[in-house]
Amino acid sequence: MADFQTSTHRAKWIFTPQELVEKYKAANQRAIQTLEKYGTTQMEVDADGSLSYPEPIARDNADKHSRAKPLNIEEEQFMRVFYENKLREVCSAFYFPNKIQATALIYFKRFYLQWSVMEHHPKHIMLTCVYAACKIEENHVSAEELGKGISQDHQMILNYEMIVYQSLEFDLIVYAPYRSVEGFVNDMEEFCGAKDEQNQILKDLQETARIEVDKIMLTDAPHLFPPGQLALAALRCANEMHRVLDFERYLRSILTRQNSEHTISQLIESLNAIDTWVRKYKFPTEKDMKHINRKLKSCWGHSSHDDKKREKKRHKSNKSSNEIPNGPSIG
Amino acid sequence: MGDGNNTSGRGIAANNTTSSSNSEKPEWLQQYNLLGKIGEGTYGLVFLARIKSQTNRGKCIAIKKFKQSKDGDGVSPTAIREIMLLREITHENVVKLVNVHINHADMSLYLAFDYAEYDLYEIIRHHRDKVNHAINQYTVKSLLWQLLNGLNYLHSNWIIHRDLKPSNILVMGDGDEQGVVKIADFGLARIYQAPLKPLSENGVVVTIWYRAPELLLGAKHYTSAVDMWAVGCIFAELLTLKPLFQGAEAKSTPNPFQLDQLDKIFKILGHPTLEKWPTLGNLPHWQSDSQHIQGHKYDNAGLHSVVHLSLKSHAFDLLSKMLEYDPRKRITAAQALEHEYFRIEPLPGRNALVPSQPGEKIVNYPTRPVDQNTDFEGTTSIQQSQPVSSGNAVAGNMGGAHAGRNGSVNRPMPAPMQRMPQGMMAYNFPAQAGVAGGMNPGGIPMQRNIAAQAHQQQQLRRKDPGMNMPGYPPQQKSRRL
Repeated sequence: MADFQTSTHRAKWIFTPQELVEKYKAANQRAIQTLEKYGTTQMEVDADGSLSYPEPIARDNADKHSRAKPLNIEEEQFMRVFYENKLREVCSAFYFPNKIQATALIYFKRFYLQWSVMEHHPKHIMLTCVYAACKIEENHVSAEELGKGISQDHQMILNYEMIVYQSLEFDLIVYAPYRSVEGFVNDMEEFCGAKDEQNQILKDLQETARIEVDKIMLTDAPHLFPPGQLALAALRCANEMHRVLDFERYLRSILTRQNSEHTISQLIESLNAIDTWVRKYKFPTEKDMKHINRKLKSCWGHSSHDDKKREKKRHKSNKSSNEIPNGPSIG
Repeated sequence: MGDGNNTSGRGIAANNTTSSSNSEKPEWLQQYNLLGKIGEGTYGLVFLARIKSQTNRGKCIAIKKFKQSKDGDGVSPTAIREIMLLREITHENVVKLVNVHINHADMSLYLAFDYAEYDLYEIIRHHRDKVNHAINQYTVKSLLWQLLNGLNYLHSNWIIHRDLKPSNILVMGDGDEQGVVKIADFGLARIYQAPLKPLSENGVVVTIWYRAPELLLGAKHYTSAVDMWAVGCIFAELLTLKPLFQGAEAKSTPNPFQLDQLDKIFKILGHPTLEKWPTLGNLPHWQSDSQHIQGHKYDNAGLHSVVHLSLKSHAFDLLSKMLEYDPRKRITAAQALEHEYFRIEPLPGRNALVPSQPGEKIVNYPTRPVDQNTDFEGTTSIQQSQPVSSGNAVAGNMGGAHAGRNGSVNRPMPAPMQRMPQGMMAYNFPAQAGVAGGMNPGGIPMQRNIAAQAHQQQQLRRKDPGMNMPGYPPQQKSRRL
């Protein structure tokens, strides 16, 4: 793996909690403004992957749309959480390696730092992120195959692909904490001078830590902390269960060996903060989701009639793009 | 990255409105003057363009246009992979990605790079076919050192290039980076951890001449040692002007066994043995021995005579360590940079094209041919018609170009030079006295730049319309860059 220290991940995608709040706020505000202006928030994606803002609403509809209620920041969060879990389900259904699941999840999270869920449906983005992660990790799956496997329109994935890359600012190499966990466990073997019977305990520790990382990855912590710290937080939790080593002593030894600028108290503070994120994690109830989905529908100005129209229009544009295999070149 | 306002995904709508009209250039393209096509390959086309904007006005950019991948396959994986790697790396000896442009109409990607006027393929070809003499030692050593320096950076960032060959090693033309090597074309590059598939599965054809023996024998896993083998082949080619192992490629099946290529290698390096290369027995093609390569008998190694080097020379020692059969014993880029060859005269320098000896002839390499007849997908009218080679000499750009040059005179040595062995400066002093008139008022670094200026003046003169290089074909068959 390329070096995390000089990576775009470290330079551009680790934020302070304030910055993160600002980003969510900004995306939410923008969508709300769009709703006020146009009566709908959803961006149109054409078959060529380009985006357009909604057409201003016609007068006779204005009344109906003015009743549309935008999602608040917490509801947006719920929506993301719901689809992050869906993303995992999709990856498991395809038996994708863990690495792909982790990469897709980070892509999804980063995408919604730039956009509101009211602007791009998380279902489409989730699938596109899985598709993109497969491409990047060289586990190529065609969009068609992916779409078929979960009965979704694969053209949607292709339409969104470029927008996803663009929203990720083409920073596509991401660092998940799973490898860091492995690295630290190897290091712990030496640290403990592990004998055979201890090796099994370390394996159990690693397995528990992996499950902890899974939990951490569904929170906002990956936007706030480097993967190494996320891994250590997971390992500390796992260690409380397995009691393999004196964790604070281990942390001190890492800091000394790495000549780190961090003090032990700073590091522990970070790990505590990560734990808090995991404790605070809330999964929406069915009732929450029903409510949110209803709101979203109103934001998108969907009626069954509109849906049909949209469907028709999309298929039409697909057809035209197929007729000219390479597209009408630059225009 | 991306077009300024497009970066975060905002402003795409605006972009879309321009792309709705086929007759107009897309917005992003309007910031360039398109000069013509300079290359073509399996991945797509490369165009040369000049920046219009005030900052960097007149600066040349190479725009690599990727073909759309198979229908229904979305954005080109090669393009995406190249971008993703280049986003993470910055090094003086690695090509610089300046921008990524998107054409929504056909979902193709355009990568804008700093333009490099030369590449090793052209430099070698020019010496072989036009000037009929070897590349001078200083240039060979400087090119090799910088290539290794860039490669060491890549390898220490866990990136294997996998497709090093002379045409992928670029050299900068006029300007403050004159004679600096840039490793290019990362379409096949891999991060170690990523699952590495056989090349055939990527559906990519790469030159077999620079392919390491372990790959030819069917090794499934790439290591950075494959790049070092390629460097060895390139080193030999710089010395002799001929590809070292010029095997005929077998093309029958998707990933055929390249018997002739191995035969060419064994003929020069001798038969590999389990003694010298213990893991040889595990390699599929050696094991199966379907074409009886195990039984072939080859004469003794004759590498030194092929490359005309004394067995005792440092150059030969380094070359033979790069062409070590066992990838685990093969010299690494970091070790090669420390090799004695780079500590003896002539010492390597930053501007590889300026010879260190005062009497040495300066070779004017041909500038890259520009095909002005190929337009940008049939939608763009090419406005500039003067040859690119007039580069900095275009009126109105003179001021800027000269300021840049003067500014570079006292520039501190760049990082790679600091890695250079001690003593180089002392050596260059007398060497350039001839050029600079024996004065050395401002410290050593200036010396080479004075020489550089002299060189540049020559080049400018050469580029004068009246003094065009005679006999050099203005157009040539496009090839993979």
